[in-house]
Amino acid sequence: MGRPASIWSGRRGLALLSIGALLLAALLQGRFDARAAPRDEVDPMLYLPSGKYLKVASLGFDEILADLIYLWSIQYYGNYEIEDRYRYLEHIYGQVVSELDPHYLDPYLVGSLIMNLEAGDPELALRLLDKGIGNNPDRWILAFEAGFLCYNDLGDYARAAAYFEQALRSPDVHPLVRRLYAEMHNRAGDKRTSLREWAEIYDTSSDEYVRQIAWKHVHDLKIDIDLADLNDAIALYRERFGACPRHLEALRREGLVDAIPLDPDDNEYRYDHRTGRATHQGGLVVGG
Amino acid sequence: MAVLELDGICKSYRTHLSLRKYWILRDLGLRVEQGEIFGFIGNNGAGKTTTIKLALGLLFPDSGSVRLFGREASDPAARHKVGFLPENPYFYDYLTGEEFLDFHARLFGLPADERRRRVADLLQRVGLGNRGGRQLRHYSKGMLQRIGLAQALINDPELVILDEPMSGLDPIGRREVRDLILDLKARGRTVFFSTHILSDTEMICDRVGLLVRGRLKALGRVEDLVQAEPGVWEVTTRGIPEHALPCGQLVSRRDDRLLVRVDSQSDLHRLLAELQRHAAILLSVTPARRSLEDLLMREVARREAA
Amino acid sequence: MFTRIGAIALNTFREAIRNRVLYLLLIFAVCTITFAQVLSLLTVGSEEKIVKDFGLATIDVFSVLTAVLLGITLVSREIEKRTVLTLLAKPIHRAEFILGKFGGLVLTLLVNTVFMSIWLFAVLAVKQMFDPQLATAIVLLFLQFLLITAIAIFFSCVSGPILACVLTLALYVVGHLLWSLELLEARLASEGARLLCRVVYCLLPNFSNFDIKGQVVHGQAIDPAVIGFAFLYLAVYGSAVLFGACAVFQRKELQ
Repeated sequence: MGRPASIWSGRRGLALLSIGALLLAALLQGRFDARAAPRDEVDPMLYLPSGKYLKVASLGFDEILADLIYLWSIQYYGNYEIEDRYRYLEHIYGQVVSELDPHYLDPYLVGSLIMNLEAGDPELALRLLDKGIGNNPDRWILAFEAGFLCYNDLGDYARAAAYFEQALRSPDVHPLVRRLYAEMHNRAGDKRTSLREWAEIYDTSSDEYVRQIAWKHVHDLKIDIDLADLNDAIALYRERFGACPRHLEALRREGLVDAIPLDPDDNEYRYDHRTGRATHQGGLVVGG
Repeated sequence: MAVLELDGICKSYRTHLSLRKYWILRDLGLRVEQGEIFGFIGNNGAGKTTTIKLALGLLFPDSGSVRLFGREASDPAARHKVGFLPENPYFYDYLTGEEFLDFHARLFGLPADERRRRVADLLQRVGLGNRGGRQLRHYSKGMLQRIGLAQALINDPELVILDEPMSGLDPIGRREVRDLILDLKARGRTVFFSTHILSDTEMICDRVGLLVRGRLKALGRVEDLVQAEPGVWEVTTRGIPEHALPCGQLVSRRDDRLLVRVDSQSDLHRLLAELQRHAAILLSVTPARRSLEDLLMREVARREAA
Repeated sequence: MFTRIGAIALNTFREAIRNRVLYLLLIFAVCTITFAQVLSLLTVGSEEKIVKDFGLATIDVFSVLTAVLLGITLVSREIEKRTVLTLLAKPIHRAEFILGKFGGLVLTLLVNTVFMSIWLFAVLAVKQMFDPQLATAIVLLFLQFLLITAIAIFFSCVSGPILACVLTLALYVVGHLLWSLELLEARLASEGARLLCRVVYCLLPNFSNFDIKGQVVHGQAIDPAVIGFAFLYLAVYGSAVLFGACAVFQRKELQ
C-alpha cells in the first residue's frame, strides 16, 4: 500500500479535515453568541396568534403545543434581563395557552402569580383565574387562588368570600378553604355568617386541632355579636329614654332585646352604666 | 387440451399525458401444447414480456382471450400448475434463500414437511445447495436467477413460463438453464420461454413463435422455419489476393486469410477452380444454414420497409 | 385463502422487521420520550403532564410516520420494483395480496406501539407517575395507525411511492382539521353550501375520533361510547378504504 500524495488526501486526512472544520464552526458559534447584543428585540413567540388559530397548526397536538409554550413562558418571564416583558402576559396565558389546553392548570396558577407579584397587576391575574375557573369549574384550586389574591393583596374580603364559596362547590376541596371562607365573612363585616360557618366547621370536623380553632372563632365571634347587639340596644334605649340603663336587665324589660345573652362560658357580660358600654370580662374583643 | 392459448389478443397503452394509443400487440394468437418446449423470440420491445404478463393475468388484454389449462388467465385457480420467472427479477432483499422459497411454497398451501423437502430439493437442483441460508441481497446475479428458477418450480408446475431466462448469465449458466429446460421436458412438463438469444433456442425448442413489433410473423417447428440451404457455402482460404476472387462476397479478412461466401453450387465450383489456379491453400468449406437469427433479421427488415 | 393471506402477512412482517428505517424511527421515539423527562424539569408545576403529553405525542407521530413509510415501502415500492410479479403469478387473488400486506403492517405496528408504550411506562414508573388510563389513549391511537396504514396502502395502489406518501400525509393533516369544517359550516349562509360542507365533513376521515390524549392526561373520565365509536369507525371506514384498495388493485396493470 503506497503512501498517499499528501497527508490531507485519503480517507483519514479527509476525516480529520471534516472534524477540524466542525470544531471551527462550533467555536465560531460559541464566540458569536457571546458577542451578540442582549436580547432587546422582542421574542418572536410573543407574536403567536391566538390559540384558536394555533389549533389549526397543531394538528391535534394542542396539549403538547400548550406545554411547549408554557415551558417557554417560564424561561422567558424568569429572565429578569428582558425589559417590558409583561406586555403580552395576558395574550400568552389568557389567549394562547388556555385556548390550546383549557384544562391545563399550571398556566393559570403560575401566570396569575407572575401577573400579580411580578407585573403588579392583580386585576389581570384575577381575569386570568376567572377564565380558568370558567373552563374548570370543578377544580377548587383556581377559585382558591383567586380568593386568596383578593384577601391577601386587595383586601377585598367580600370578593374573596365569593371565590372561596365557588371553591367549596368542589367535592374534593381542601378543608382549609372552608375556614378561610368563614373568616372572610368576619373580615367583610358579616359576623353572623362567619359564626354560622365556624359553628358548622366545629360540628362537622373530625380533626381536633381544627375544632379547637373553630371553637376559638365561635367564642370570639359570639362575644362580638353579643356585644354589638347589646351596645346597639343600649343606644336605642338612650334615644328613647335619654339616659343609659342602669342594668342590662332594663333592656330586656323594655323589649329592646329578647334576652340578655351570656358569654360562651355562660358568664354575664360586664356593663358600666356610666360609660354606657357593654364589655366582655376578658377585655379583648376579637376580630374587631 | 392446449396448456396456454391466446386468441386474437390486442394490447395497447396510453401514456399518461397523451391520448395516443400505442399498440404493443396486434391480433396475437398461439397455442402451446402439452409437453413441448416453445420458444418465443423477438427483438427487445417486440412485446414478449407483455404477452407473458397477459398469460399470467398480470395485464389485461384490450380484446381477445387468454386461457391457461382452459381457464381464464385472470382466474387465480388457473395458475395452480404454473411456474413463472420474470425477467430481471427483484426479490425480497432481506429474506434468506430458504425463507424466500418457503414463502412461495406456503402460497400453494403445502404442508410444512412437504415445504421443507421441496425447498431443500430445489436448492440442490438449481445449484444453490449450501447457500440457502444467506440473505438474497448478498446473492450475485447468477444466484438470483437460480433462486428465481427454484421459485418457479416450487409447485412442481405443469407449465413453466420463463421470461428471458438466460439473460445476464455466463455461458455456463446458460448451459445449466438449457439443461434444466430439457430436463423438464423429459419429465413431461411444458416450457414456454422468451428470449432474444437465438442460438440456444434453435437447439432445444420444439416450436418457436417469432414476434416482430407486436405481430406474430412466424410460428412453427424450428426445422420448418429454418431451411438448410445447401446452396450457400462459406469458404476459408489463404494465398489468393482479394481482387482475384471471381465471385461470392468477402465476409471477413484476417492477415492473408479470407472468408468468402458463395450462394450457389456453380459459384462454389468457380471459386474452387480459381483457388486451384492460384495454388491457394483451402482451409475449409462449410455449408451455411440460414439460422433463426437470419429469419428474425429478415422479418424485422421487412417490417421496417413496410 | 387465509393461509395465503397469513403467509403474505408474515412475510410482510419479516420484511418490515428487517427494515432499518423502522429501527431508526424507534430509536428516535425512545430518545424523544426520554428527552421529555429532561424537558419536564423546566416546568413550574406538573412535570407529569409534560412527560405524558410528550410521550403520547411521540407515540402518535412516530407511529404515523412508521405507518406511512412502511406502508408505502412495502406496497408501492414493491409494485414499482416488480417484486410483486412473482407473487401475483401464484394462484392468489389480488385482494389477498392487499389484505396480507395490511395484516403484516398491522402486526409490525403492534410490536412497534407496544415497545414504545413499555418505554413510556417505564419512564413514568421511575417517577411514580404511571397511569393505566394512558393505555386507553394508546389503544385508540393504535386504531388511528391502522386507518392510516389502510389509506397508505390505498394510495400505493393508485400511484407511485412519492405521490402516495404525499397524499397519505395530506389526508392525515386534513383529517385532523375537520373541526374547522364544522366551524365553517356554522358560518355559511347558503343552505346548499352548508350541506356540501356537511357531506365533505362526513366523508373525509376524521382522526379526532381517535384522540383522547388530552382527556387522559387531565385525568378526566372517558365515556365508553367514545371508545366504542372509535372501534366502530375504524371498522367501517377502514373496510371502505381496504375494499377500495382491493378494487383498484384488482384491475391494476402491472407493467
